[in-house]
Amino acid sequence: MTAAPVQPFAIAARIRTAWIARSRQEQLVYKLLLPVFGSVFIIATIPFILATIQAVTSDSGEFIGLDNFARALSNPLLYESLKQTGLYAAIALPVEILGGLGIALLVHRTVRSNVARAAIYIAAMIPIVIPQIAVGVVFRLVYAADSGILNVLLGQTGPNQPLWLSSPPLAMIATASVDIWQWTPFVYLVMFAGFQTVPSESVEAAQVDGATNWTQFRHIELPYLRPLLLLVLFFRIADVIRVFDHVYVLTGGGPGTTTQFLSLYIYRIGFKFSDLGQASALAVVVMVAMILFYRIVSRFLPADRA
Amino acid sequence: MRRRSRGITKIATTLLLAGIAFLFAFPLFYLVATSLKTKADLFAPVPSLFPPAPTIDPYISVLFTRGFGGLLVNSIIVGVSATILSILLAFAICYPITRLPASPRLRAFVLNWALSLRFLPPVAVVIPYFAIVRAIGLYNQLPALILVYTIFNLPLAIWMLRGFLDEIPLEIEEAALVDGASRWYAFRTILLPLSRTGILAVAIIVFAFDWAEFLFAFILTATPQAMTFPVGVQGLVTQFEIIWNDMAAGGVIAILIPLSLMIIARRHVLTGLTFGVIREK
Amino acid sequence: MKLRKWLAIIIPIALVASACSSTSTSSGGTATKLTIAAVQGVEDAGLKALAPMYKAQKGVTIEIVEAPYDDLYSKLVNAFKANDATYDLIMMDDPWMPKFGTDGSLSDLGPLGIAPDPDVAQVVWDVGTWPPPRGPVPPSETSKPKQLLGVTIVGNVEMFMYRSDLTPTAPASYDDVLANAKAQNKPGELAGYIIRGKATNPVVADFLPILWSQGGDVFDENWNVVLDNDASKAAISFLVNDLKGVAQTDPGNTDASDRDKIMANGQGLQSSVWPGEINTAVLDPAVTKVAGKVTFIPIPAGKSGKGVGMMGNWLLGVPKASKNQQAAADFIKWMLQKDTQMTYAQNNGIPSRTSVLKDASLTTANPYFPVLADALQAPPNWRPRTDQWNAVETIIGTHLNKALTGGETADQAATGAAAEIRTLMKGAGYPTK
Repeated sequence: MTAAPVQPFAIAARIRTAWIARSRQEQLVYKLLLPVFGSVFIIATIPFILATIQAVTSDSGEFIGLDNFARALSNPLLYESLKQTGLYAAIALPVEILGGLGIALLVHRTVRSNVARAAIYIAAMIPIVIPQIAVGVVFRLVYAADSGILNVLLGQTGPNQPLWLSSPPLAMIATASVDIWQWTPFVYLVMFAGFQTVPSESVEAAQVDGATNWTQFRHIELPYLRPLLLLVLFFRIADVIRVFDHVYVLTGGGPGTTTQFLSLYIYRIGFKFSDLGQASALAVVVMVAMILFYRIVSRFLPADRA
Repeated sequence: MRRRSRGITKIATTLLLAGIAFLFAFPLFYLVATSLKTKADLFAPVPSLFPPAPTIDPYISVLFTRGFGGLLVNSIIVGVSATILSILLAFAICYPITRLPASPRLRAFVLNWALSLRFLPPVAVVIPYFAIVRAIGLYNQLPALILVYTIFNLPLAIWMLRGFLDEIPLEIEEAALVDGASRWYAFRTILLPLSRTGILAVAIIVFAFDWAEFLFAFILTATPQAMTFPVGVQGLVTQFEIIWNDMAAGGVIAILIPLSLMIIARRHVLTGLTFGVIREK
Repeated sequence: MKLRKWLAIIIPIALVASACSSTSTSSGGTATKLTIAAVQGVEDAGLKALAPMYKAQKGVTIEIVEAPYDDLYSKLVNAFKANDATYDLIMMDDPWMPKFGTDGSLSDLGPLGIAPDPDVAQVVWDVGTWPPPRGPVPPSETSKPKQLLGVTIVGNVEMFMYRSDLTPTAPASYDDVLANAKAQNKPGELAGYIIRGKATNPVVADFLPILWSQGGDVFDENWNVVLDNDASKAAISFLVNDLKGVAQTDPGNTDASDRDKIMANGQGLQSSVWPGEINTAVLDPAVTKVAGKVTFIPIPAGKSGKGVGMMGNWLLGVPKASKNQQAAADFIKWMLQKDTQMTYAQNNGIPSRTSVLKDASLTTANPYFPVLADALQAPPNWRPRTDQWNAVETIIGTHLNKALTGGETADQAATGAAAEIRTLMKGAGYPTK
């Protein structure tokens, strides 16, 4: 599969002459493939437009402008929810991303057998394919007081046992731990695949030059992994904002509002309070805020390689 | 000196990996253990780590008595179709922006748009999707789920595929094109094999997400004709009943299917993971 | 180019293949199939048992589509908003009915041939009528004529259970309940009172009978919020301070199934209970350790002087969008027949006919039936009939849960919840003060 070695000058000259002839063909392919993108764009954007319309109309269909937005943003519970979601992300995300990366590095460097590598890769898929409700219930069976296995294993039974699901700090840790359990493998899957694409010559060359593990990682592998790392970062942030199922089963948003994260809050507004206008307004606000956040971050950490 | 520290490092890393493996395996173990318990075991005042009297009744209950077998089939159909569609569309979109001289602004636009799709809390678009699906007459039909899942996972597929395609230098294809090959030929014989890792990773992850998806499967389906497995499993958690064993059995079955698919396709997994990109230096 | 061709082939094939394999929903004319949206769990067990009987008798297939409590509510809200015709009959918890009634989503059952039957307690017909014949009526509904929008198929009234082997005399009031609890409470072994305290719906269901028995309420006759008056505050304090002191280890995360487990294992002295929990959990022969030791009584009295039970009937209604209105109504009529109700009761259903509930042949297997009959005649109180109830319940439930887990005091819970409810109701057009 390697290209035949040719003199550099000859390549440049041949590419240049072929370029002009090909540009028309390229444009053609371009034009043919973009309709795919165009139609997907339209299909995917329609619901967003509908949600926006929902956000600026009342229940009976009249246009009420930014009323819903005002109501959404003036509710103190929203900010409480944002704070809790931020705390949750601050606990879960670093562990997931650094942990996934670290484990991928560890396995990539130390596990030699191809069969073992593939087996671990397949096993890492498991936490992602379990139905969310099963995750919620199993962890409830682990963390619950009196009927959960964790306190039994820790030898903490009786009235003074730690209440993993009812004490605010513990509940936060408990729900975050479920997130970590579920998503570190995802980070691992992406990162490990990324490690496979680092060209082996560069790695060998570095090792011949006497690079330590750390230098090799930092200067050879990390640049290749950067786009994937940023992908993982942004997608995990986007997902944390949408976390719902397992929290709902574990704590129902409790104790009080400790684990009432953003998605649970929007669900509450939309379905329990039947205020779909406000829920849509919230969704639009969240989306716009995230896009802005992404724009700013990607200015400093471009996801594209130069 | 170096050899001894190597040996210690080896032991340390093995222990570390084993510890991590244990932490991740424990909830899975408990899931399986719960799925083998009887109702009486579930009621025990002190929960036990191992089922005292293991039984496969929960599995029979889930698959046959409750008739979730059909839901499993639905999940498989939707998962496989949506994954294939996602990869095809992702390629169709990634190719021009990674292999062709697309303007950086267009490229950034596509990527930003893809990511912003993921920022939208699904709770808010549930009703619009419901209305649209009903309007086009696909309510309670599998194609609705296939389309929705494809769209929802497209951002991830695009971003991942782009990351992998970017690693493959343009020169390799250029050389073939210069030698007179058509673009399609270059794509098929050069690019595709080299992007095997990427395709595999995307396929695994997209399928995993499709398989476990609940919210839209719940909203867009009404009867077992089109419901998927997670919707069925969700129904096993009710206010008053203690049927955690059935639900755990459902969870285990939900894991086994994709796992089996992966094991069947293990050769592709192996090649995809170990086939690095050969570059010119 | 080839790529597009493949896409153009695959997508239509997938669509066509799936469309061909789907079965069509029943069309107009004589119905051969009725689809019922039901709540998953013990409540629809009787319904599922009856479906094959109906098919045998009338030739109409009954397809039951189940979903758990919260999910069913979301599904119904969606279906009604989109005027969907998938469901011919729906099961709804009685607090949901005001919303569906206000939105005009349900058909009037009177013209479809269903008339009140004296063998069924009057409160059952009242709870299914919209606007409600008693109590405050939402301002937007006062001018509407009264229609029967739902008929009870699960005659649920919340009751009280206690271990008669440990406390032979039935507690007549909540003071007795507390005294007994304190006397018998052994932390870690026996909880004096099991609080069902998980956030929102669970804790409110447990709390409302206490609230009413102590003389408090959420609204008064004119939709003013009275959750923060003295009686209500005392009731909240009774729950989060007095009862919590004698409760199980983690009341804030206990749902009904957890409560049943504790009771069935003999680790609890008293609690409130719904009929559906009894035979499937608390007294389930396969798991119970307290067979024959539990007695069921109506809710004990409080400072108000009365014990006020709370009803939680599951109603069957017919969506206006359904294409099989008459067939659906006929099914409801059939469900109400005495012989059907007898079979229903024998299959874990909870009937609403007084004669069936008091039938001696059923009492051995269901000792709580006669108590239920009396509770229905009392009559029990129902949750405030407002389309905002779901929101109100969420507000109250969050604050109660917070207080139970030590996040705020009973007083703060009362004032906080009351303030939020006032804002909510005013925003929805009620004359709340």
